[in-house]
Amino acid sequence: MISQVFILSSKGDHLIYKDYRGEADKDAVSIFYEMVTALSGDQPPVVMSHKDLNFIHVRQGGLYWVASTKTDASPFTIIEFLNRLAALTKDYCGSLCEKSVRMNFALIYELLDEMVDYGYIQTTSTDILKNFIQTEAVTSKPFSLFDLSNVGLFGAETQQSKVAPSAAATRPIMSHRSEQGGKNEIFVDVVERISVVIGSNGVLMKADVEGEIRVKCYLPTCSEMRIGLNEEFSIGKSQLRGYGMAVRVDECSFHQAVKLDEFDTYRILKVCPSQGEQTLMQYQLSDELPCAPPFRLFPTVEKDYGNRLLIFLKLRCDLPPKSTALNVSVTVPVPKSSLSLSQELSSPDQTADLQLKNKAILWSIPRFPGGAQLSALFKVEVPGLSSASLLEVGPVSMSFELPKHTCTGLQIRFLRLSPTHPGLSQRWVRYVTHSDSYTIRI
Amino acid sequence: MGHDDLKEMLDSNKDSLKLEAMKRIVAMIARGKNASDLFPAVVKNVACKNIEVKKLVYVYLVRYAEEQQDLALLSISTFQRGLKDPNQLIRASALRVLSSIRVTIIVPIMMLAIKEAASDMSPYVRKTAAHAIPKLYSLDPEQKDQLIEVIEKLLADKTTLVAGSVVMAFEEVCPERIDLIHKNYRKLCNLLIDVEEWGQVVIINMLTRYARTQFLNPNINEGGEKAFYGSDDEDDDDEEKKAEAAALAKRKPYVMDPDHRLLLRNTKPLLQSRNAAVVMAVAQLYFHLAPKAEVGVIAKALVRLMRSHSEVQYVVLQNVATMTIKRRGMFEPYLKSFYIRSTDPTQIKILKLEVLTNLANETNISTILREFQTYIKSMDKDFVAATIQAIGRCATNIGEVRDTCLNGLVQLLSNRDELVVAESVVVIKKLLQMQPEQHSDIIKHMAKLTDNIQVPMARASILWLIGEYCEHVPKIAPDVLRKMAKSFTNEEDIVKLQILNLAAKLYLTNSKQTKLLTQYVLNLAKYDQNYDIRDRARFIRQLIVPTDKSGALSKYAKKLFLALKPAPVLESPFKDRDHFQLGSLSHLLNAKAGGYQELPDWPESAPDPSVRNVEVKDSVRAGGTVTLRGRAPGGQACGVFLSSDQSSGEEQKRNRKVVKERRSGSESESEEESESESSESESESEEESESDTDIKKKKKTIAPSSSVRMYELLHRITGEGLAVEYCFSRQPFSPDPHMVAVQIQFTNNTSSETKSLHIEDPKLQSGMRIKEFPEIGQDFLLPAGESVNVVMGIDFCDSTQAANFQLCTHTRKFFVSIQPPVGELMVPAFLTENEFKKEQGQLMGMNEISEKLNLGEKCQSDHAIVERVTAKANLSRVPCGSEKENRFAGKTVSSGSLVLVTVARKEGGGAQLTVNCEKMVIGTMLVKDILQALTQ
Repeated sequence: MISQVFILSSKGDHLIYKDYRGEADKDAVSIFYEMVTALSGDQPPVVMSHKDLNFIHVRQGGLYWVASTKTDASPFTIIEFLNRLAALTKDYCGSLCEKSVRMNFALIYELLDEMVDYGYIQTTSTDILKNFIQTEAVTSKPFSLFDLSNVGLFGAETQQSKVAPSAAATRPIMSHRSEQGGKNEIFVDVVERISVVIGSNGVLMKADVEGEIRVKCYLPTCSEMRIGLNEEFSIGKSQLRGYGMAVRVDECSFHQAVKLDEFDTYRILKVCPSQGEQTLMQYQLSDELPCAPPFRLFPTVEKDYGNRLLIFLKLRCDLPPKSTALNVSVTVPVPKSSLSLSQELSSPDQTADLQLKNKAILWSIPRFPGGAQLSALFKVEVPGLSSASLLEVGPVSMSFELPKHTCTGLQIRFLRLSPTHPGLSQRWVRYVTHSDSYTIRI
Repeated sequence: MGHDDLKEMLDSNKDSLKLEAMKRIVAMIARGKNASDLFPAVVKNVACKNIEVKKLVYVYLVRYAEEQQDLALLSISTFQRGLKDPNQLIRASALRVLSSIRVTIIVPIMMLAIKEAASDMSPYVRKTAAHAIPKLYSLDPEQKDQLIEVIEKLLADKTTLVAGSVVMAFEEVCPERIDLIHKNYRKLCNLLIDVEEWGQVVIINMLTRYARTQFLNPNINEGGEKAFYGSDDEDDDDEEKKAEAAALAKRKPYVMDPDHRLLLRNTKPLLQSRNAAVVMAVAQLYFHLAPKAEVGVIAKALVRLMRSHSEVQYVVLQNVATMTIKRRGMFEPYLKSFYIRSTDPTQIKILKLEVLTNLANETNISTILREFQTYIKSMDKDFVAATIQAIGRCATNIGEVRDTCLNGLVQLLSNRDELVVAESVVVIKKLLQMQPEQHSDIIKHMAKLTDNIQVPMARASILWLIGEYCEHVPKIAPDVLRKMAKSFTNEEDIVKLQILNLAAKLYLTNSKQTKLLTQYVLNLAKYDQNYDIRDRARFIRQLIVPTDKSGALSKYAKKLFLALKPAPVLESPFKDRDHFQLGSLSHLLNAKAGGYQELPDWPESAPDPSVRNVEVKDSVRAGGTVTLRGRAPGGQACGVFLSSDQSSGEEQKRNRKVVKERRSGSESESEEESESESSESESESEEESESDTDIKKKKKTIAPSSSVRMYELLHRITGEGLAVEYCFSRQPFSPDPHMVAVQIQFTNNTSSETKSLHIEDPKLQSGMRIKEFPEIGQDFLLPAGESVNVVMGIDFCDSTQAANFQLCTHTRKFFVSIQPPVGELMVPAFLTENEFKKEQGQLMGMNEISEKLNLGEKCQSDHAIVERVTAKANLSRVPCGSEKENRFAGKTVSSGSLVLVTVARKEGGGAQLTVNCEKMVIGTMLVKDILQALTQ
């Protein structure tokens, strides 16, 4: 049973405080913040106790979402609840950040009131909650051109001309009373996260892709939606479909509302999405990628005269030419005693610097078109350089985003609402691959 | 504090001003500021018509009622009125707020409200009643006995909505009354999959505890490896025989109670749940209850959870770490899933290491060690240290790789990172203790490190090693002591203590070379600032340096210092965690959290399993079921009380028959009677004094708690003893929301049992689909005289065409058909008034059907209209500003088309009925049905 729920900003400001059972002190909030900040390390423990009060928290949107309990409640329940609360807040307020929480405290308070009664979770389903929630969301969304140039471009490959600003998907779901925002839109995201380990000999040692199909629905009453995937989509090793290259995943799981009667033959997912965000399908692929990993690195590490270490990196992007990788950053760990860095980069929009705290070089590349090759030469001043220091270089890790690209090759063939919804309904599809952990050993 | 502006706004006539004021006040509460001085101004608005304002007032009221008890009482009457509202949402909300007001004076009012709500016709209100129980209990624990009665009653409720909430109340109020569960055990198992997710978690946890008290340990025969197939345990057999009358044909030494199997079978599909809490609850249930051979199924589900948020991963890994100690094999196939990613947070990395270490065995150790080697390069120092410790643990657990590990660790000694070296030294020290003879070169190597390593713990470890094994390094040891003596004053305390130790040991083995050095060190220590060190120095001096005063003890000095010391056992910090129930907070904290309920040990012999049988005479004794029986002989008209009555015994069935026979004769009449009676009892109860609860209870039972009508599918005679009835339970059919849920009740009137009930050969109109009830199972028997309920789903494609199919038992097949009344083809849709108007505006012309009618005599009030319309069609009421109108909304189950119904009353008993629906056929039929219901 939950005693209190509170939301804190990263600076420790009290944004929302709700006491359900009146059994815990009010200063619990400050106690919690003290405990969190007192700890070093990248992530404080999820569960912390102070006397007989236990705090469980998650971090989302740069905020602390905390529940406290005095009894032996299932920690999974509470974590899951806090995650749902954050997701619902996002659905209802449009986006998840300190500002939106501050502006919508009344709405969130109402949500908290309906979701939990005396510390017992009642419901977290949008369909049920929308009968009770009265407060309107407040949003502030200054339109900026930056949004258009940023990663979040929507649009299926076939409709290059039709793109929506990425802010379009960050508006509250409940806005039918104020008519201006109430467009009947539906967004479908295919999001993949790739993690790769490449050995020092350039061999792919480990690769896996986790993907999901997410739907964000703004249709007030939605009829059935049909999502067609590639017909070659196959699950498991044995099954092969179609003539072209198969789109294969190892495992697949679906949201309980998804109907699969046409999945086996036509690869069509049928669902009646409720308002808000849902994950329709999750899948993963391990060990085998259908195509080459997106980046290859050719490193050379040498001892120069004096105390200088030479690191020469050649980085090739193996994506198809029409794709582009964005926000690529390469981290190269260097010996502990490194002092300074001089660099030669191939274009001015790239940057590189030595981060003394982590003892690593961070090389950032804002745009990296497919098929291109970039090189960089780093000269690092390392006092007392020995041959053993060379071993301290590496492994290199990378992070990047690949918009309009899926590593598995999964595509959405079509997206139909049946029967065709009265009024304007717009459908948007986007693909993106994020790096989860991309490591290249040297 | 001047909140005058707010007070002014609250007193104004405009809702918008009130709303603004309330928002500002709630903002104050949300930020933890005090707003109690506004109480009088706020409480006045409790009866405000604007629902937005009203809700915010509720929020305020609940927060401050305790501080302003007298003023809070002013609001009570509003809620009491709310409890009688025809709209279920308002009744529920009134109960929720009323029960949240922590004022002791209103305890009797709350008690009464809860009792009434517990037999409300709306499951949503009954659910709210269940939630109110713990609140009242915490306010006044003396109400416990009365509350248990309500819990008992609600436990018998058959709706999924209520099940989770009442178990929550049970767990808080009377977890020790495990006997209340017996009768409901099978029902809870069967409902489980349809209960909402948060309820599932609570029910599964409770059932885990229940099973531990009622069933035998399924792994009881597992003395050794082969015991699994053992054929001993004759005595056990006898016991089981008694326990299970209907025994299976194939006998095994241990036979699981069918109820135990039922629980395992019905929880297994929930491993697919998207809610991590549900998955973990099932996982712990399997871990604690399932036979060893079956526990494996949870591994995959848990590994899947590791793909969610890092917080979830953290708790999952904690539990996996505990499980891997007991059941290593289970997770071995998923070894790779526990490999560490560079992006994992440190605490996740360390937990994964723990799991990998637990999983290590002779076959996979080389892979694991290779993986560990790359981890040492990480920039995360805590993680590197943990990796080195993990290597040490692998080395101690698996003899074959000890030397490999040791060599690897020794290589790390030349690492440039001091932390890596230090941690390696500590681990090597522990490893060497196991077989020092073979490794004098390593000890030598480490002796050299004292020049470079500064980390105190590492220095101390090296010194201890040299002292302990000084015979293996006779030349180096005195030299190390010499160096240490030089730097003694600058060392940390733990290093100083080890220098003293080293000196003492050398003095005892090699006093010629080290006598002076030892004296010197002891003298330095004598004047040290730390009393521990001074103390130790004095003790050592007395013990090792022979003087005339020193007693017999110094003879044994060598034995004391150089005794053979047992090697340390490197074991997992999770080793003994499993005495806490997995998935609990206590397990996570490794300490008892408040209210933790110990998982009981398996009983020695199984308690009587027949307590779970649901039979007539038992249900009489239990007294939880409301008195339906009393009325039966009188032949009073009544609906069938599916939702409030769990007993599926003979008597009730007979009763139902009576009703049905009457129904078939004059259906309309009987319905009318029941309706009028309900309104009567309602008005009466309002007048009655509160103390008169007994009479009231009786009255309440007469009101139809949920008038679900039973239809006959198969008559007892045509079915050769098998009678089948069905009703439209109006519950959502969770496997497929486009299907109408049809609840089917099988009653076996024969003298032998009926097996394997299932459906075959459906003949359906095109597009129609049937989702068969999961075949009750080969090993399930419907014993003579018992009955069972199942739910099947039919997609009628929004038409009233009948669904024809064959109902099969193990011996016979029967042709049957189910034809739905049009009102059952829809589910309630919750719309606001504005939405309703908007939608109605879009369904004009052909889609609108309007009829004039004269309301029947007993049908003049709002209440009666609502009752009749909702009885006829599965619609929900839409809030409405005008008093003359009643609006209802629903969606057709199959296509989700909206169905909007408006009944506008006119002067002099006339009314206008309007139905808006895209599906014209449905609209027309619905108009006809409702018209009939309203005019009689």
